[in-house]
Amino acid sequence: MPPAPGSTEEPPEPVPLGQRLYDNVFLLLTVSLLIMFGVFTGWGMWEILTMPPATLP
Amino acid sequence: MTAAAVPAPGAFRKCGATGLLVHSRAEWLIKLNAVTAVVALLIGASAALLLVLTRWQAVHLLPAVWYYRLLGVHGMNMLIFFIIYFEMAVLWFAGTVLLNSRPAAPRFGFFNFGLMVVGSLLILWMQFSGKADVLFTSYPPLKADPIYYLGIILFAVGGLCVVGQYFATLVIARREKTYVGSQPLVVYGATTAAIIAVVTLLHGALVYIPTFLWSVGLIPAVDPEVYRLLWWALGHSSQQINVAAMVAIWYMLGGLTVGAVVLNEKVSRSAFVLYILFISMASAHHLLVDPGFGPAWKIVNTSYFMYMAVLASMVHGFTVPAGMELGMRLRGFTDGLFGWLRRAPWGDPGFSALVLSVVVFGFFGGITGVTIGTEQINILAHNTLRIPGHFHATVVSGTAMAFMGATYYLLPLIFQRKVAFWKVARIQPYLFAGGMLMVEMGMTFAGSFGVPRRHWDISFSQAAFDVQFNPVVDLFLALMGIGGILAVTGALAFILIAVKSVFLGEKVTEFPRGSAIAGIPQGLTNPPVHAANVDEINEQLHAPSRGWMGATPGTVVLVGVFFLAFILYYFTNWKLLSFLWKIG
Repeated sequence: MPPAPGSTEEPPEPVPLGQRLYDNVFLLLTVSLLIMFGVFTGWGMWEILTMPPATLP
Repeated sequence: MTAAAVPAPGAFRKCGATGLLVHSRAEWLIKLNAVTAVVALLIGASAALLLVLTRWQAVHLLPAVWYYRLLGVHGMNMLIFFIIYFEMAVLWFAGTVLLNSRPAAPRFGFFNFGLMVVGSLLILWMQFSGKADVLFTSYPPLKADPIYYLGIILFAVGGLCVVGQYFATLVIARREKTYVGSQPLVVYGATTAAIIAVVTLLHGALVYIPTFLWSVGLIPAVDPEVYRLLWWALGHSSQQINVAAMVAIWYMLGGLTVGAVVLNEKVSRSAFVLYILFISMASAHHLLVDPGFGPAWKIVNTSYFMYMAVLASMVHGFTVPAGMELGMRLRGFTDGLFGWLRRAPWGDPGFSALVLSVVVFGFFGGITGVTIGTEQINILAHNTLRIPGHFHATVVSGTAMAFMGATYYLLPLIFQRKVAFWKVARIQPYLFAGGMLMVEMGMTFAGSFGVPRRHWDISFSQAAFDVQFNPVVDLFLALMGIGGILAVTGALAFILIAVKSVFLGEKVTEFPRGSAIAGIPQGLTNPPVHAANVDEINEQLHAPSRGWMGATPGTVVLVGVFFLAFILYYFTNWKLLSFLWKIG
């Protein structure tokens, strides 16, 4: 909101995008879950489940 | 702020030293979790003494059954109970005290604490009664009594709910404007720990609920490889919660003890974000020799992504000591490269614990961790004593040491008691850290000669076959045993100090400034303040004529020593690998 006419109050400095991202705890939580479940858990499960069965000698 | 949101005036007290508001129910939750953590430490340390006296081959104290049983008890108490109860205390402290906020649903917090205690008691009951001799990892097809798995599930659910309450407390603090701008850096570190805890505990649910169903006969089997994948996302990531909480405590203790400054908020926060995004993948280190995963999965998880988290640790490993150096220099201790270190309060157990934690975690835990986490080198180290040598450096010398240092400040600030046996407290961090360093060196060097971990008798007496180790391993195992006795003595001294202080300690509510008082760390009676000419000093420290060493030359030199040690150890291991793995 712009300051009222005649007001000497400085408008608040806008918060940089990076800081807003870092301050968004729930966004960080979501991205953390996506990376871990995608790269470690999901990919790892896929590796195990697509492993061909060993043939008996 | 609405009227309903304003807490009752009597709910808070004002801390006499810091001026922070302490909510009475949050204070109780901090106390309960911290005391329970110390009880777990007592059980785990007692088991540790018996274990090192068994692995020390010349003593070989316990029979095989009790060795493996107590190994499970030790792992559960030290890696889970002690650490996680203390982290719950850290979350309540950071979310409420450091943000001047009321806690979210404190009665639910007491319920969750009760859930965790019931879970812990069930686990211990099963372990001591011999119904859960499955070691800490409980790999299938080893099967424990269903009550054991139920205990773990109850503990994890309680912990996950407390983490949820922490996030709710953050929302309350933001809505009620108990702080302005971004979270303070220490709280940000606790938030990082809380996020990693969610990742960890969700994997805990994924692995333990099916295992519980298997143990009661509702499902026919648990795939051992799937179990290992999911279990290590719990087992290793739970130790990454520690790392984040420990680094948060480093920043807090640095500020309290020597007036450390944060060199660059953006850099430190970025390092915490790297932890949030990438550190949990270190779990893949445990699966580097498993045949079920291809090299791409292994290398991406343990190298490309994981090194982002290693980078974060190295950032903190620089910014914490550099912040301490700059803080000391701004107080007027400007002489030479290391004048700030010589003039530091080495008799303050909060400070000595901080420095020992940073140094051993970085030099020993960090360097060994990155080295043995390299896929090719891992084949040399896997399942040898080098692995416990590494994680005792990180979890015990790093995290537990930092938690002990924080306790020396929390006793007067939260429990409002003087630290008992003050003279013992002043030397306790040195005794504990020195003993643990001997344990870690003994384990690491014995492991380098192939001594296996989790092994009752490496002499293979009465076995049908014989395995000969280099005789020098006896020396390393003796080093481990003697170090273990010293470290357990240090841990028991800490427990004695904490118990006496909490239950029989002298009450303290005022912190008179300017004089040294036995039982109160100097950071509370003589809080670090900048020199009168701080602006002039600051200008001199940041003058371009100082060159690339900048305002913190002492830390730059120490970091150079760290990198030399890192390079030496890392490439020595490649050389060792070349002896084993001849090509051409």
